[in-house]
Amino acid sequence: MNNYQHYPNSNYYKNFNAQNVNSNQDLFDPYTGFIHGNMFPKTYDPYKLSKPYEIKPLNEQAQLLTQIDALKFAMIDLGLYLDVHPDDQNMLNTFNQYRVQANELKMEYDSKYGPLLLSNDSLTAFPWAWNDRPWPWENK
Amino acid sequence: MWIYEKKLEYPVNITRKDTKMARYLYAQYGGPDGEFAAALRYLNQRYTMPDERGKALLTDIGTEELAHVEMIAAMIYQLSDDATIKEFEEAGLGGTYTQHDHALFPTDTNGVPFTAAYIEATGDYLADLESDMAAEQRARVMYEHLMNQTDDPAVLAPLSFLRQREIIHYIRFKELRDYYLGKYKRNT
Repeated sequence: MNNYQHYPNSNYYKNFNAQNVNSNQDLFDPYTGFIHGNMFPKTYDPYKLSKPYEIKPLNEQAQLLTQIDALKFAMIDLGLYLDVHPDDQNMLNTFNQYRVQANELKMEYDSKYGPLLLSNDSLTAFPWAWNDRPWPWENK
Repeated sequence: MWIYEKKLEYPVNITRKDTKMARYLYAQYGGPDGEFAAALRYLNQRYTMPDERGKALLTDIGTEELAHVEMIAAMIYQLSDDATIKEFEEAGLGGTYTQHDHALFPTDTNGVPFTAAYIEATGDYLADLESDMAAEQRARVMYEHLMNQTDDPAVLAPLSFLRQREIIHYIRFKELRDYYLGKYKRNT
């Protein structure tokens, strides 16, 4: 399960939030969009909160998961847009940039912390690794 | 098919017990405009969408709503997992304890059980999409009411996220409906 040599080094991820590969100025970067619940600044419509809460991961595992969460969120939100606007080449390119980044981080997460999916390679471990980590609703 | 990913769409980490808030959140679990109803409504309507855009959007929003069911359930669980019988009773959940103990059960905030009657499906794509737009608006308002009922940042953060998703879903449904009005030259 440690056979992956092609992960970008960790410095790459430290700059993750500053990095905005998106050339589409009408979008938030993935982390900013994630905490807003909305990748599209023009449609953001706040209520009660003057600004959205930052997500502060408490350890390295949570930090990596937050980066994955943000990229997966961007994929969900851009995916819904592309369902209705399938001919937007610029948005399609941005979607694929985030998809590639998300897949790389998910492989890194799998090798370091165990499976998020039943298709993950860390499930070659013995005993059965799927049961190994807390379920996502558990916080005690 | 569906694939389970062992994470939430947006993190939920509530450490302050609040059994009353857990009860209010049941509105979004098994209520008429809750996340269960939304997920099943869209996933049932997708079969009679007239083109690929509609089938894709209903599938993907329906799938995201399943992730929202899981977030709401996580919030209810974390808010009330440690609740005593007395705390259940003080929150108006004494009867819930009697029937379900600490189990989650899909009802609305007043204990009315979830029913398939909440799943609107007419077979007419305009009637369904306009119903979906209205459902997203009702869910958005309910999230605002829930946000008015708490000051715990750990509860407000996911509620704010979920409310914003209702706004985006409304916009996408409306874009699809407007596209269909032009594509199929329908006025109503």
